Amino acid sequence: MSAPTSAPRSLTGSFPAEAFAQHLTSLAGAPAWWLDRQRAAYETYAGLPMPRRTDESWRFSNVVGLSLDGFTANPAASPTALTSPFGTPHLAFLNNTVVNRNAVPAELVRQGVVVTTLVEAAAQHPELLRAHFMAQPQKLGSGKFAALHSAFVGAGAFVYVPRGVEVKEPILITHAAAGAGSAVFPHTLVVLEENARATVVDHFVSADDAAHFACGANDLYAGHGSQLTYIGAQDWSRTSRSFQFNSTVVRRDARVQSLNLHLGGRQARHESLSQLQAPGAFSEMLALTVADDTQEFDQRTLQIHQAPNTKSDLLYKNALRDQSKTIFSGLIVVDPDAQKTDAYQSNRNLMLSDDAEASSLPGLEIQANDVRCTHGATTSRIDPEQEFYLQARGISKAAADELLTFGFFEEVLNRLESDPLHDVLRTLIQSQFKK
Amino acid sequence: MSSLEIKNLHVSIGEKEIVKGFTLTINSGEVHAIMGPNGTGKSTLSKAIAGHPDYKITQGEVLVDGKSILELEADERARAGIFLAFQYPSEITGVSIANFLRAALQARLAEGEELDASAYYKRLYDKMDRLKIDRKFTSRAVNEGFSGGEKKRCEILQMAMLEPKFALMDETDSGLDIDALRIVAEGVNAMRGPNLGVLLITHYQRLLDYIVPDHVHVMYDGQIVKSGDKSLALELEAKGYDWVKKEFATASAR
Amino acid sequence: MKPSPDTLPADEATAVENPVSGIDQSSGNFRYEMDYAFDAGTGLTENTVRYISEVKKEASWLLDFRLNALKTFHSKPLPTHWATKDLENINFDKIRYYLSQGLKPKRTWEEVPDDIKKTFERLGIPEQERKFLAGVEAQFDSEAAYSNIKEIVSKQGVIFVNSTEGLREHPELFRKFFGKVIPTGDNKFSALNSAVFSGGSFIYVPPGVKVAQPLQAYFRINAENFGQFERTLIIADEGSEVTYMEGCTAPKFSTSTLHSAVVELVALKGAKIQYITVQNWSSNVFNLVTKRGVAHEMAEIKWIDCNIGSRLTMKYPGVVLKGRKARGEVISIALANDGQHQDTGAKMIHQADETTSNIVAKSISVGQGRSTYRGQVHIPKHLKGCKNNTECDALLINTNSRTDTYPAITVKGDRNAVQHEASVSKVNEEMIFYMQQRGLTEGQAMSLAVNGFINDLARQFPMEYSVELKRLIDLEMEGSVG
Repeated sequence: MSAPTSAPRSLTGSFPAEAFAQHLTSLAGAPAWWLDRQRAAYETYAGLPMPRRTDESWRFSNVVGLSLDGFTANPAASPTALTSPFGTPHLAFLNNTVVNRNAVPAELVRQGVVVTTLVEAAAQHPELLRAHFMAQPQKLGSGKFAALHSAFVGAGAFVYVPRGVEVKEPILITHAAAGAGSAVFPHTLVVLEENARATVVDHFVSADDAAHFACGANDLYAGHGSQLTYIGAQDWSRTSRSFQFNSTVVRRDARVQSLNLHLGGRQARHESLSQLQAPGAFSEMLALTVADDTQEFDQRTLQIHQAPNTKSDLLYKNALRDQSKTIFSGLIVVDPDAQKTDAYQSNRNLMLSDDAEASSLPGLEIQANDVRCTHGATTSRIDPEQEFYLQARGISKAAADELLTFGFFEEVLNRLESDPLHDVLRTLIQSQFKK
Repeated sequence: MSSLEIKNLHVSIGEKEIVKGFTLTINSGEVHAIMGPNGTGKSTLSKAIAGHPDYKITQGEVLVDGKSILELEADERARAGIFLAFQYPSEITGVSIANFLRAALQARLAEGEELDASAYYKRLYDKMDRLKIDRKFTSRAVNEGFSGGEKKRCEILQMAMLEPKFALMDETDSGLDIDALRIVAEGVNAMRGPNLGVLLITHYQRLLDYIVPDHVHVMYDGQIVKSGDKSLALELEAKGYDWVKKEFATASAR
Repeated sequence: MKPSPDTLPADEATAVENPVSGIDQSSGNFRYEMDYAFDAGTGLTENTVRYISEVKKEASWLLDFRLNALKTFHSKPLPTHWATKDLENINFDKIRYYLSQGLKPKRTWEEVPDDIKKTFERLGIPEQERKFLAGVEAQFDSEAAYSNIKEIVSKQGVIFVNSTEGLREHPELFRKFFGKVIPTGDNKFSALNSAVFSGGSFIYVPPGVKVAQPLQAYFRINAENFGQFERTLIIADEGSEVTYMEGCTAPKFSTSTLHSAVVELVALKGAKIQYITVQNWSSNVFNLVTKRGVAHEMAEIKWIDCNIGSRLTMKYPGVVLKGRKARGEVISIALANDGQHQDTGAKMIHQADETTSNIVAKSISVGQGRSTYRGQVHIPKHLKGCKNNTECDALLINTNSRTDTYPAITVKGDRNAVQHEASVSKVNEEMIFYMQQRGLTEGQAMSLAVNGFINDLARQFPMEYSVELKRLIDLEMEGSVG
C-alpha cells in the first residue's frame, strides 16, 4: 500500500509520499487500524492548502513563515544523555525513538498503572488505544499540521491509570530533538479511569541549537470523577518551529488542570481544546509565555461546554520582551441547553519592550441563558502605581520591575498544588531572564 | 534626633497647582496631624514628598536632617527614612508579603550583605501577631483581595518592619471600622517614640482620639491656614470645615 | 422624525402581500404609496449608475467615481469568511437602487406635500414634534423631501443640506473629504454605496462654532425591494461642536430589502462630533452600514448607536485617532429579537500619541435572537500614552437566546494600555420575583429589568430618544416571557 503520489511538492514539502512510506515501514508491528488512520491522515495532509493570511483561525499569525521545507522527515536517533530539571523521565524520546525508560514503582504496576510507548500499548492494550488514540477532532485551524502529526506519529507515550488509583509522583516524559532539520512528532496520550488521579509532565527540549520541526499532540481523557494535572513545558531551540495540539476530554465530575509553559522556538503555535462533556466537569487551562528576541507565540484555545453544570477557567499570561510577538485567540462555546455553565477566560499581556506586539482575540459564543461567562484581556506595561508602591518601600526600580514581572507569573504558578513542580517551572522562567 | 523640613512646597499635577506654599517641620518624637476638607491637597502633599512621578514639585524644599531629598528617586527617599502609608495601597499580584518585605529589607543592606532569613521571619511573625494579622498572610500576594482593614493593617506591618524615621500616614483611618481602627492606632502608638516622626493626614477627628497628636494643622487650598494643639481638632469637629473656609476667605479678601 | 411606539410593527402576521393605494391601515405598517418621479428599476449595472448620475445632473468626476466603485463592488467577495452566511441571501438583482420623487427640498412646513405630512401622522409624531421638525432634515426615500435649517444654524455659517445639494453647491469642500475617511474599497458594501448613493446629509461647521441644537435627520425605507444608500459627510472645523441625530423606522415588507449607508465624520483640531442613531428596522431589512470618523489633534468623536430590529445589522462605527490627544468613543445598544441578528461593535484605530478610546456595548437577545459584538482596537508601533477601554455586556432573556463576542486587540510597545472585559448574564430571577411581589406582571418586571440593564447608556441619549428607547424595549419585551 502506498501513499498518494499526486500531491504537489508545494503541499507536502519535506514530507512527501516517499517519506511517509518510509515512516510506515518503521511501524511494521502496528495494527492495521493504526496504519489506516495514518494513511487517511496523510491524504488529508497532502490535500490541504497551507494556511493563508485571510484564514480567520490564523489571524495576526505570520503565515509566511510557515515553511514545510528544509526538514528531515525521519531523522536518525543517536543516543544522547538528556537531563531534565523535572527529574528522571519515565520515558525519554529523541528524534521519535525511545532512548531511555524508567519503570514506575512496582506497586503502581500491580495496581494496573501503565506508562509505555504507543506501539507497545497497541499490542498490550489494543482496545484502549484504539478508543483514544488519534480520536479527537481538530477544531482550531491547524488541520494540515494536525494531519501531518497524525500521519507521522509513531513514538509517543501512553499513560493509563485505572479506576480509583492515585499516582502521587508526577509521571515525566521528555521529548527531544537533535540535529539540523530534524522533524519530531511527540505524542502523549493520557487516560484516567473513574476516580483516578495523576500528574503528567511533558518536557519538550532540543538537544542542540539546531533548527527542529516539532509537531506534537497531547490528548487527555479524564474519566468520571478523575483528577488530572498536566504540565507541558516547551523549551525547543530558538530556531525551531513548533506546533502542539492539545485535546482534553472531561467527563462527569472530573477535573483537569493543565499548565503550558512556552519558552522556546522561533515560531510556536499551541492549540488547546477542552471539551466539557458531562455535568460537574471542570477544566482549568493555564499558560505562561516568556517571549523574547523575535519569537512568535501563537495560542488558540477553545472551551466547549457540551453539558449543563460544567466549568472552565482559562488564564493565559504572556510576557513580551525585545521584538517578540504573541497572539492569543480564545473562544468559549456554550452549547444550547448547557445551562449553569460557568466559564472564564483571561489573557494578560505584560509588555516589557517598546518593540513587542501582542494581539488578543477573546471570544464568546453563548447559546444558553442561565450561565456565568466572562472574559477579559489586558495589555500593558508594569503598572506604574505598583512600581511606585514598591519604590516607596525602598526597593529600586530595577528590582521592583523584576519582582513585579515574576509576580505576574506567580499568580498562575500558585494555582499548582505541587511545590516541587512550581519550583522547577519558576526556575525555568527565571533562567529566561538571565540569558 | 532627625528632622523633616518642608519649606514653601508647591506641587502641581499636570498644569494644576494643588499644594501652594506648604511649610512645616517635624522632629522625631512628634506627631503632627493635618486636617482639612477634601480636595485641599493633603494626599498630594504626602505623595509628592514620597516622590510619586505624577506629582511635580515646582517650588520649595523637602529636607531630611538638613539634606534635600527632592533629587532622589522614590526608593531612595524611602531608604532615607520616609515611609508613606497609602490611602489606597496597590494590589501586587503574585508577590507575597514575605518576599516583598524581604526585598524591601534587603534593599536597605549594603551590597553583598544577606538578610538573615530566620531572624527576619521571627521578627515578621512577631509584628504580625501584634497587629493581629494571620501568619498565613505571609504567603498571600500583597494587598490582593484584602479587605479595607486588612490593607491598612498590612501598611502598618510594613511600617513596623521597615522602621522609618518619618511616617506619612495618608487617611489611614478611612474605610476602617472601630475595631480595625483601634488595632491600627495601637500599632502606631507602639512605634511612637524618640526615633519616629509622624505626619497624620485625616479628614475626621475620630482617629485623633486614638492617636493623640502633639500638633494639629488645618490645611486649606494647598497650605496650612491654622495650627494649634489637639484642642484645635475638637474645635474643628464642633464647628465644621465651613468655619475654616469662611475664615480663610475673609483673610484672603483683606 | 421618530415613530411613536404605538404605531410600531407589532405583529408579523399583519404584513400585507400586495399593497393597496393609500395608507395601509393595518397596525404597524408604515408603508404607503408614493409617486416616484424617477426610478432606476431593479438590478445593478453600469446603466443603473449612469442613470442615477444623470438624474442628479452630476459632474463627470463623480460619475467616474461611481463607475469605479461599481467595479470594486463586483470584484469584492462577500465577507462570509468571518461574517454570517446570511449575507448570501441578499439578491442584488432584485433591489431597486434609486428612486426619487424629484421634489426639491422644502423650506417651510406649508410647502411640504400633504401626503408626506400624512406619513408623519401615520408615524404618530405629535403636533409639537412636527413643529420641532423645523430643524429637521427628513429624507423620504432617496431625496430629502423636507429640509429646513434653523435660522440660527445658518446664521452661524453652518452648512446643513442633503448630499446632492452639498455636492452641487460646495464641491471643493465636499470633494476634499468625501471618500477619504471610508475609501470606496473599504468593504463590499461601502463600494456599493459609493456606486449608487443618494440622499444623506452634508454638514459643515465653521471654526469655533458650537451648534447648540442637535441636527436631525430621519430616514426610512418606503418601497418594496428598494435599497437605501444614503451618504453622510460631516465636517467639524477647528474647535467647533455639533451633534447629529438620526432615527430610522421602516414599514414591513414581504421581501427582503437592503439599507447600506456610508457615514464619514471629520473632526478637525479640537472639534467635537457626537453622532446619535436610534434605528428600528423591520425584520426583513439587511442593514449594512459603514460609519467612521477621523479625529484630529485634541478632537473628540462619539458614536451613540442603538440598533433594534432588522434581519441582519452589520455596523461597527469606528474612529481613527489621527491627532495627538484625540478621543474616540462608541456607545452601543443592540436588541435582537426572534429572527434577528445584531452584528455590531466598534473599531478604534490609534495613530497618534496619548489618544484614548472607550467602547461600551450592551446587547439583549430575546427569543431566538442573536447579538454579536465584533470589535477592533489597534495601537501600532512606537506610540505612547494610548489607552483603550472596552466593556461588553450581554443579557440573554430566553433559554436559547444567543450572544457572541469577537474582539481583536493588537498593541505594540510598552507605553500603552488596553483593557477588555465582557460578561454574559440573564435577568436576575430574584429581582423579577421582587417586582412581581410588588404587583408588576412578569412582562413589566422584565421590561424594567432590561431597561435597567441599559439605563446607564440610555441616559446618554437626548431625552426624547431615551424615552422612545424605553417604549421600544417595552414593546420588544412583550411576549418574551411565559
